[in-house]
Amino acid sequence: MNRFLTIMASRWTRLVLVLLIVLSLQTTVFTELRPFGVAVQVVLLMVVVAGSLFGVAIGSLTGLVAGLMYDMILPTPVGLGSLALGLAGATAGLLIYFFNEPTWWMRSIAVVVVSSLGEIYYPLVQATVGLDGWLQLRLLKVVLVVSICNLLLSPLAVLVCRWTLSERKTVA
Amino acid sequence: MLVLTAIILITLDLQNSSTISGLRSVFGTVFRPIESTTRVVTRPVNNAWHGIFDYNNVLDENDRLREQVAQQEGATIAAAASVRLAQELLALNGLPTLAGINAVTAQVIGDSPTNFSQTIEINQGSESGIRVGMPVLNAAGLVGKITKVFTDRAIVMLITDPDFALSIKVVNAPRAATTTTTIARSNAAVPSPVVPVDPGSSAGTTVETTTTTTTTTTIAGFTPTVTTLPAAPSGVSSITVPLASELAVRETGVIEGRGPSRQPIVRFIDNSLRFGDIQVGVPIVTAGGSQSLSPPDIMVGKVARVVERLGSAGPILEIELVADLSNLSFLRVLLYQPITEKPAP
Repeated sequence: MNRFLTIMASRWTRLVLVLLIVLSLQTTVFTELRPFGVAVQVVLLMVVVAGSLFGVAIGSLTGLVAGLMYDMILPTPVGLGSLALGLAGATAGLLIYFFNEPTWWMRSIAVVVVSSLGEIYYPLVQATVGLDGWLQLRLLKVVLVVSICNLLLSPLAVLVCRWTLSERKTVA
Repeated sequence: MLVLTAIILITLDLQNSSTISGLRSVFGTVFRPIESTTRVVTRPVNNAWHGIFDYNNVLDENDRLREQVAQQEGATIAAAASVRLAQELLALNGLPTLAGINAVTAQVIGDSPTNFSQTIEINQGSESGIRVGMPVLNAAGLVGKITKVFTDRAIVMLITDPDFALSIKVVNAPRAATTTTTIARSNAAVPSPVVPVDPGSSAGTTVETTTTTTTTTTIAGFTPTVTTLPAAPSGVSSITVPLASELAVRETGVIEGRGPSRQPIVRFIDNSLRFGDIQVGVPIVTAGGSQSLSPPDIMVGKVARVVERLGSAGPILEIELVADLSNLSFLRVLLYQPITEKPAP
């Protein structure tokens, strides 16, 4: 029983539950609201923020889990989203690693840069398995819109990520 | 570690692993109730967004559609009659028709959540008889094909997805000309005009030129031609015979999507003399055949641009789709499977 409670209280369980809600927001509200015809990527935002707050290892693992969940609902092969989002999480962690005591605006820059890169990783990974045709000029518009929207939504994502992934001290 | 895990997963899925399919199914079962709840909760947000940003567009579209409906009311009746006649003729000759194929009506319940996939989700699945590969249509024409099927929903890949490919026919319209041959009987009482008789010819034989009035009505994908002949005078038999070269020539190719911002193209068109020059505006329909996933003669679009290529490579055609893929609500899934795909009894 104690073990079950420990598992349920772990940050990874919280992450899966939170990602389920974020994914449902992605497939409903953020699929409908398309500024300039581009779908805002909140799952990518969560991964990027996790990487920028908690480093490479947590970022890439969050990306792997989020990507795997995303892959389950997409018609593309399972593993593409995991790879793209895992790379995005790792990139965010790496980028913030070079800043000494990163401030909020450094994290904001990291969110913009890695959101852009993350949105480019996906068609690149698709192309490696033969699903090419997405590397076109429209990608610039997609990258720009996703980066700006992620920047605007990042304060909320930071709060959610902190709550989800922070270690809690258990009372003995 | 991350890359290795992803590569293993991709490899497993590309080999149609049953474990991955099972995982997808389980995840879908868990995720659907959460998604449905979120959809209900966020509906006011969606409505507010569309109310703010799309209201003027909807008004403009409404005006435009009213005008279009008024213009097409008459033409639709003529088109429906022509289609019915064509289907009867095909049925009489034992040829496959769309009317003979069962269909399921489905509602679009979701778009693709990513920017790199042109898919939609519909609310009918395997329990309605839907299988992977079946063609999906709206009232205008072909929209896409089924790529994933779940119990009560399915994923439709739109024609504009770069992974979409389907064999099609280009129906090159004949040049606008009709030959009317009038055979005049000897000693026929023809009022006018009478061509002076050649002294060398046999007495009492006349040659008449008859005027032909042609009315053409253009409907999306159809160009029915009604030819009205003047009443033939008694003793004169008038037969309108289209020349073989004027009959519609069909050439097959493959339509491929190129993403949402670019028109699909048709490749592998033979550069044959028989086909002649492809004209802009000619219709594109599905080719059908024993291995095609789609039955023949479903309207796809019309040629918007012909890109000629040097050498023996045939032209590339840019296609303007008849279906408006940005505004899909109700769709029809044809429960059609080619003979090669049907399970053995």
